[in-house]
Amino acid sequence: MSSPLSKPQIIAHIQKSLNYTVFDSKWIPCSAKFVCLGNFPRGSGVIQIYEVQHGEAQLVTEVEKPKSLKCGTFGATTLQQRHIATGDFDGNLNIWSLEAPEAPLYAVKAHREIVNSIDGVGGLGIGDGAPEIVTGSRDGTVKVWDPRQKDLPVANMEPVEGETKRDCWTVAFGHAFNDQDRCVCAGYDNGDVKLFDLRNMSLRWETNIKNGVCSVEFDRKDIDMNKLVATSLEGKFHVFDMRTQHPSKGFASVSEKAHKSTIWQVRHLPQNRDIFMTAGGAGNLHLWKYEYPAKRSKKDSDGVDVGVAGSVSLLQNVTLSSQPIASLDWSPDKQGLCLCSGFDQSVRVLIVTKLNVV
Amino acid sequence: MSSGTETGSDVLQGPTSDSCGTVPVEHLDYDYIEKCKDVKYMERILGVLRSGKEGIYPHLITFCESHLEKLNPRSRSLRKVNPVATASSFSTDEWSQIIDELKTWEEETKKTETLMKQESMLGDTVKIKIPPVRGSNRCVQLRESSASKERQNSSKHTLPRDYREWDKYDVDKECDRIDGNVLKNDPPAVLNTGHPKIKTEVDSSLLSQQEKLLLANREKDKGNEAFRAQDYEEAVAYYSRSLSVSPTVSAYNNRAQAEINLKHWHNAMRDCQQVLELQPGNKKALLRRATVYNHMGNFQMASEDLRMVLREEPHNTAATQLLSEIEKKMSECQPEQERKAKKVLIQEVEEEDSNSFKEKRAQRTACPVQPSQPVGGEESSAAPAERGDMGNTQKKPHTRGDGGPHSESSNSHQHGHWKSKVGSSDKYKVPQESKEKVANGSNQRASAASVPADQNSKSTGGGRTEETVNLDAPCGALPPHLSRLKNEGNLLFKNGQFADALEKYSQAIQGYTDSGIDSPEDLCILYSNRAACYLKDGNSQDCIQDCTRALELQPFSLKPLLRRAMAYESLERYRKAYVDYKTVLQIDISVQAAHDSVNRITRLLIEQDGPEWRENLPEIPLVPLSAQQHRREEPPSAEALQARKEKAARDAERRAEILFSALKQEGNDFVKKGQYQEALGKYTECLKLKPKECAVYTNRALCYLKLEMFTEAKEDSDAALNLEPTNKKAFYRRALANKGLKDYLACSSDLQEVLQLDPNVQEAEKELEEVTVLLRQSLANDSQAKPRRTVPITEVDDDKDLTAVPNPETTCTGEDITINLKPTSAYDFGQSLNAARCSGNTAACAELLASTSPELLPEYLSTQLDSATISFVMQALDSHLLEKNPNLVYQHLSHLHTTDRFPVVLMLLEKDERRHMTQLFEHLSAVESAEFTTNDVQNLANKYI
Repeated sequence: MSSPLSKPQIIAHIQKSLNYTVFDSKWIPCSAKFVCLGNFPRGSGVIQIYEVQHGEAQLVTEVEKPKSLKCGTFGATTLQQRHIATGDFDGNLNIWSLEAPEAPLYAVKAHREIVNSIDGVGGLGIGDGAPEIVTGSRDGTVKVWDPRQKDLPVANMEPVEGETKRDCWTVAFGHAFNDQDRCVCAGYDNGDVKLFDLRNMSLRWETNIKNGVCSVEFDRKDIDMNKLVATSLEGKFHVFDMRTQHPSKGFASVSEKAHKSTIWQVRHLPQNRDIFMTAGGAGNLHLWKYEYPAKRSKKDSDGVDVGVAGSVSLLQNVTLSSQPIASLDWSPDKQGLCLCSGFDQSVRVLIVTKLNVV
Repeated sequence: MSSGTETGSDVLQGPTSDSCGTVPVEHLDYDYIEKCKDVKYMERILGVLRSGKEGIYPHLITFCESHLEKLNPRSRSLRKVNPVATASSFSTDEWSQIIDELKTWEEETKKTETLMKQESMLGDTVKIKIPPVRGSNRCVQLRESSASKERQNSSKHTLPRDYREWDKYDVDKECDRIDGNVLKNDPPAVLNTGHPKIKTEVDSSLLSQQEKLLLANREKDKGNEAFRAQDYEEAVAYYSRSLSVSPTVSAYNNRAQAEINLKHWHNAMRDCQQVLELQPGNKKALLRRATVYNHMGNFQMASEDLRMVLREEPHNTAATQLLSEIEKKMSECQPEQERKAKKVLIQEVEEEDSNSFKEKRAQRTACPVQPSQPVGGEESSAAPAERGDMGNTQKKPHTRGDGGPHSESSNSHQHGHWKSKVGSSDKYKVPQESKEKVANGSNQRASAASVPADQNSKSTGGGRTEETVNLDAPCGALPPHLSRLKNEGNLLFKNGQFADALEKYSQAIQGYTDSGIDSPEDLCILYSNRAACYLKDGNSQDCIQDCTRALELQPFSLKPLLRRAMAYESLERYRKAYVDYKTVLQIDISVQAAHDSVNRITRLLIEQDGPEWRENLPEIPLVPLSAQQHRREEPPSAEALQARKEKAARDAERRAEILFSALKQEGNDFVKKGQYQEALGKYTECLKLKPKECAVYTNRALCYLKLEMFTEAKEDSDAALNLEPTNKKAFYRRALANKGLKDYLACSSDLQEVLQLDPNVQEAEKELEEVTVLLRQSLANDSQAKPRRTVPITEVDDDKDLTAVPNPETTCTGEDITINLKPTSAYDFGQSLNAARCSGNTAACAELLASTSPELLPEYLSTQLDSATISFVMQALDSHLLEKNPNLVYQHLSHLHTTDRFPVVLMLLEKDERRHMTQLFEHLSAVESAEFTTNDVQNLANKYI
């Protein structure tokens, strides 16, 4: 606070009010455009494409869909195609071409209930291996899809028959640093965080962070898993060091209670994996930096390697609105450019300065 | 800030709600807050204040905040919600920069987007190399995590168990379970250090240019991140990936840095070269290459690179720093090359010291250290680098040596200028004695000071005539009050009031430092004088300190050196004392006290450390010529010179005696150990000291013999015989030398001499017999125009030759292979040996060897030396010849190893063959013989095994 300008500043560059509830907003890779997904009050879904032009967001395309759209990703598409995969309230997974968004390129009834979260990997040059999409739903299942395979998921992680089905709130890909290795992390409403190894088709690790897991994200999808951030309903987030997995203790973690309310989203800066932003239920944004410990692993009393967590420091925090911010997305192309949308029915383009000097 | 205070209750995470009750109102006080060190409690106080429940005190809140920030700047209570930054939060420049940047980005992206679209229209978008679909609906069954279940359970109270449950307890099962658990815990931690698994190449052949660029950048970013996390190997992998997509300067540069951190110098070098090829003059690459060169020891290239960088950017701190470091190293390196020369020169100085003792003339003739002077100068500049510390070495030479306040000699060897002045000007004539009486301070100053001699002599002269009166006589550059102090000190010293003199000198030194005059000479004298006082008081420690200071100011001044030496001696630090005395002697060879002490200490040290005492000495500093000069200029009186000469001669003798006996002893020790080469060196040194010692010559002759340097052995024996014409050892050794030189005639005559002198020498007798045989053989060889295969020397050695002489064809154990047992050429020998080997007939081989002269063996064998042959010969020697004639075996072995390529063949020996050899040597060493000792065998064995 001594020298306010020496640290990153968050500028609300563009604010656009919308006439519908926006659930997700995403930058279109390799462009100055972004997509907003949401639902009209009448219950139908909507896809809008905006272009940033001279300090304003100009609507390029708007398409109405029968079902409310909850989430979307570009993670499994090529740079040339830039197809968006969306999940809707009805449990459908659709892939749309933004040039011709009228009809889906790929459609599947993925889940019995709402698709809460979606993530993609293998596209955009991020992650080796096949393009895959993972969806997490209220029906308690996490499914992995390959756009080349119709109707059936390639992997399905569902609760054992007869057990209570927990609501899966968030999914994320990671560990995709070569053709074979790939992991999916899922967070559930009861605080469970589960890590699935897609290569071995097994549950690799699980933990419980005591409160509903609102958002999980690996710091990078396409490297040997390094860090995982999981945010919770009660305003806490955990950073796990994923490099050293102890047979019984699992991964070392550091937690920080930052927001007074739910942390809805966490997103790592694409240009620097150690900087991430969390978006809170009170309409505020926190910019964090993870600092590695001197040594990332040590031997415990039994001589087994155990990870050492680093520390987290707050770089900046701002309050944007009184309503929760539900989605957050960094521009993959321009460092510091950020998109967020909240329940105040508006989408904002933010500029975060001095990220290169942190 | 103000908004933060207002919205104080909005603090993200504050103890506001729960802590109010626990903070008493008294604690909401400036004093209390200021003293409070408990961060947690401070946070609570702040929470109460912000809540406003006890009233609103804006100033107290800010005070509390600032205090908390001091205690813990990262306290969560200090986090405030900031509004979003707007244009007003920035200066106009910054703001416009941000906006401009965004604008250019917008435009650029639009361009790239259109480009990409065009490309995607043109190129086929089908990617061939996509891994197949993972599978179809493969299921992973999930359960709720154990952690969450436990949590649910933990709320319930566990009921105490029924005792009957113990009946169900199965001990075995539990044991198994525990064991099983142990096993289950066994799998090691999973370390995700997967960089070896990361492919370092990316197949980008199907990507468009834009995509490639993006991909390359992304991989580089990943590399940067890994680099920041200090995971350099991973970083290198990602940089490599980036480079495989599209080679960029920055990726090469970054990879170079990562390689440097991994200490992969060659890879780093390659990367730097790549950058410089792509972009000549890239500063980062130059800097990094300099670092690499630095680590590879190529300082020249490193400094070149750095200079390039500095030319471009003169204020580059990293480059400047590295350059200075490298220059330091370079100066370190150069002297290293010269070190050898320097050492030799130091030796020279020492030698000349002793020489000058020996030869009286040496004192006056050429200054002994003169030839080394230029190098001596170099050394002083090189020395710091050598030790890597400038300051220390500068000190070192200076701190050596000392002068005694009492030494007449030092008085008689005054500074040249001064002396001549005094001598020439009768006005200020000061008799020698009076000068000696005068407290040495003024003398010394005169000797050291560069003040005009005229004024100088006047003042001192004045001081002397009215010693007690004129205490204000000016001393060098000292202000009057200081010179007074000094003169008083001198007077007191002379009167034997050393403690008082000490005080005066201390005051003078204090005054000197306070007045800030720059006259090291005077300060040096003051310190030196005080040292004299300390010495008189028996305070050697302080004396050493003062002398060291004085010597720092005036290196190689005689008196401080002498005094320090004496102090060291009194503290029984003989080595240091020795060095200082030696330094004194380098400066002035005529300091008798130093000579005496050196002798004394030498004896002590020899007693202490034995003959190797010299090795423990610290280095004796080289005295630069300038420091020595003044003693040559004044010609001492004739008698004094004479007396000194005599004394020096006596000293030298004594010294030489000690040194000589030590060296000889060392030499003898070496001989006993069988280290002839080393012994040789020692004896040679002995002879340098005393060229007329017969025993040393004979000893050295023995060494030469053992080393088979017969000519030298003969020369030494000759020399010994010149000195002592009836020395039988010398005769015997000359005989052996002659034998080695194949001058059998001379050999036998020598042996006969020996036997004449002492008929009981059995070795000589045996040797004589042997030589007679050889003599006849050689005579026979000479007489026969061309020696044919059968040389009839039947008479010579009865039993041995009896087996050999009969017709070889028949002796050859009845096998059809004929073995010629009397080879006369390498070819014959080879044939015979091969024949013997083919039939595995070691006996025949032994015969063959028995009839071959050992000297010829290498020549014969050289053409067919291989491991099998050697092994075969060894076996033959071992099994047949050893019993009959161990001497011959020894001879053979001592010649065999001189064969060409022998070491190579030796290396190729197999285990079995080696075993044979070891056996042979074991057997040989078990044999008692006059010809050779077990030591000899051991030496020989060392050459084989």
